[in-house]
Amino acid sequence: MNRRDFLAGCNAFATASILRSPIEAFAQEPPADVSLTIAPLELEIAPGKTIHTVAYNGSVPGPLIRWPLGKPITIDVLNQTSDPEIVHWHGLWIPSNMDGAMEEGSPMIPPQGRQRYSFTPNPAGFRWYHTHTYAGHNLKKATYTGQFGCFYIEPKEDAGNYDQEIFLTLHDWNAYMGGGGDASMDVSYDYATINGKMLGAGEPIRVKEGQRVLFHVLNASATLTHWLACSGHTMQVVAMDGNPVPIQKRVEAIRLAPAERIDVTVEMKRPGVWILGETRDELRKAGMGIVIEYAGEQGEPHWAAPPESQWDYSQFARPGKSTDPDVRIPLVFRSKFTGHGDFDHWMINGKSFPKTDTIALQQGKRHRLVMRNESTDDHPVHLHRHTFEVTNLDGVAISGLMKDVLVVKAKSTAEVDFIASNPGMTLFHCHQQSHMDFGFMMLFRYA
Amino acid sequence: MLRKTPSLKRKSGTISAFSLFFLAFCGFFLVRPLAAQDNYEIQVYGSDTVAPKTTMLELHSNFTVDGSKPLPGSKYAADGTYPTNHALHETVEITQGLTSWSEVGFYIFTSSRSGQGVQWVGDHIRPRVRVPDSWHWPVGVSLSTEVGYQRRDFSTDTWTWEIRPIIDKQIGRWYFALNPALERSFHGQSVSHGVEFSPNAKISYDFTKVITGGFEYYASYGRLGDFDDLHNQQQQFFPAIDLNVSPNWEINFGVGIGPTSSTDHLIVKAIIGRRFDWSGHHEHGSSLSTQ
Repeated sequence: MNRRDFLAGCNAFATASILRSPIEAFAQEPPADVSLTIAPLELEIAPGKTIHTVAYNGSVPGPLIRWPLGKPITIDVLNQTSDPEIVHWHGLWIPSNMDGAMEEGSPMIPPQGRQRYSFTPNPAGFRWYHTHTYAGHNLKKATYTGQFGCFYIEPKEDAGNYDQEIFLTLHDWNAYMGGGGDASMDVSYDYATINGKMLGAGEPIRVKEGQRVLFHVLNASATLTHWLACSGHTMQVVAMDGNPVPIQKRVEAIRLAPAERIDVTVEMKRPGVWILGETRDELRKAGMGIVIEYAGEQGEPHWAAPPESQWDYSQFARPGKSTDPDVRIPLVFRSKFTGHGDFDHWMINGKSFPKTDTIALQQGKRHRLVMRNESTDDHPVHLHRHTFEVTNLDGVAISGLMKDVLVVKAKSTAEVDFIASNPGMTLFHCHQQSHMDFGFMMLFRYA
Repeated sequence: MLRKTPSLKRKSGTISAFSLFFLAFCGFFLVRPLAAQDNYEIQVYGSDTVAPKTTMLELHSNFTVDGSKPLPGSKYAADGTYPTNHALHETVEITQGLTSWSEVGFYIFTSSRSGQGVQWVGDHIRPRVRVPDSWHWPVGVSLSTEVGYQRRDFSTDTWTWEIRPIIDKQIGRWYFALNPALERSFHGQSVSHGVEFSPNAKISYDFTKVITGGFEYYASYGRLGDFDDLHNQQQQFFPAIDLNVSPNWEINFGVGIGPTSSTDHLIVKAIIGRRFDWSGHHEHGSSLSTQ
């Protein structure tokens, strides 16, 4: 049994138990706060370039959900596709049956069916929502589609000092299997977009000299890590995965693995027309960029390559060790070769999902995931329904950096701590779609 | 690919009249004028091209354990070229990626044999284009063309041209490649023979992530529409191993058996290649990812 088989079994159950007429269901319940419709979409990412995809409410990204911290919300999701769907509320501390992962017990939404999600958004900050289905070798499904959107939970206190707030979503399109860096197959793409448009095809970001602009940047790519720079400007990193960083730092470029978010502020003090885009030429040419236009400025947008740099989470964390954990959970990541013409399969502690061990958590205890990545790929690992503190990277103790996705680099170690404070099944997986589909997934349960 | 093919050329003052007659006889009746299988670069091409801002440097080392031998009293073989028996052919191949779908390769062929020292044989240039990934074809397809010169002492044809369609496919652990190449001589013994057909093929299986074992086939059937009989065709079979130790290295070993009379009967080959990435960044998503 693999993840596909596991989900297929769950789908059959869901279809039998949940399917009901959308009209009938809507008629019986009060209107939801937010409605999402999942449906096929012809997305024009640039003149003459149309992507056949699936999206929320006919747009990519889906509508921004902006909601006050602690206020209950209901979200109706209508599935107008021919496949079962599900929506995961990424980074939120909500119950398992609402989290939007079939593996945790959230119901699938059958074709032409609907699902009402009700929860109280928590914690504050930049979260997001996306499909959580299986793609396997079908690179037109799951997170390869346009099913993603930003979810901003407004803090009760002042959110910060800025003049303009802009959400940016990165995505890659027309995926196909290509040669990978480690000689197995990997996913490559034809096009890349920011907010659903290739560089130059969408409206520019209009700014004024002297403004401080807060960018909420989400990498919604199914598999690719992206580097982003704002030509001629530096970026002040203020939050990661929606959580304020202990040490804010000014950088030339930011790196985002799939599912990571970074909040940066940019001081607009170099009038002109600039490109905010991928630092790698071929990806920027594939479309990953957006124009920043100062008031009163015109002309061709200018790209200024930032100096070469390495990304290091530690620069945003406090040096030194954090609180000792109550429980240590060792996790070893390995790949299983299946041929140079196929994706690798993945194992956690020697087993692929759904055969991975389901580890029991002790409620209220501080757990440390002691991760060792023995493979030659990086893994942006994600823990559902909890936020973790990054406590060690390659043997160097750090503290205070709170995230829900962390890149565990190839041939490296990383440790993260979290308090088991949200009972229910909890999924842990690599956020690269091709990794999670081929075994890189496991469950925690509460004892 | 440089063909080893011999042709005949009168060498002043060193060969007897009888020898000349004998060599002419052999050259005309026995030796295939334009044999396609070379023993300088023995490789079935895959469809992939070297990435832009990347250079691939390869060394092809081929030792002929059992090849052509000199005629009695002569330093030349029957076709008037240096014998291949116990010759070590070293070829340096430098390939530069131009775009994501094109490259150009340059070859320096050398030969060394007891009593001859290391000799320059010739040079070729080989542009190649491929079907871009964005076309999403179900098989890899590329087209290579190669033109170059080789000294008369080592080949019966000095100026040659080749066009090589390349089709390949990787399915799980299996890999298939076919190179139905066409060759032509512009100067030398085979000019009048027109286009000749020289197919190569490869099938291999990934035993592990590092070790791939397979079977390579090299042949030259003769002119299009009028193939030589089997006896005079070139046929070589190479059990071969590829070692995938790193994306930056290419390592291949093989032992070739040539059962027909116009083929070297036993060759040991090795290819060692190193990829140099000048693009300033590394593979997406890798731990070495930089801007």
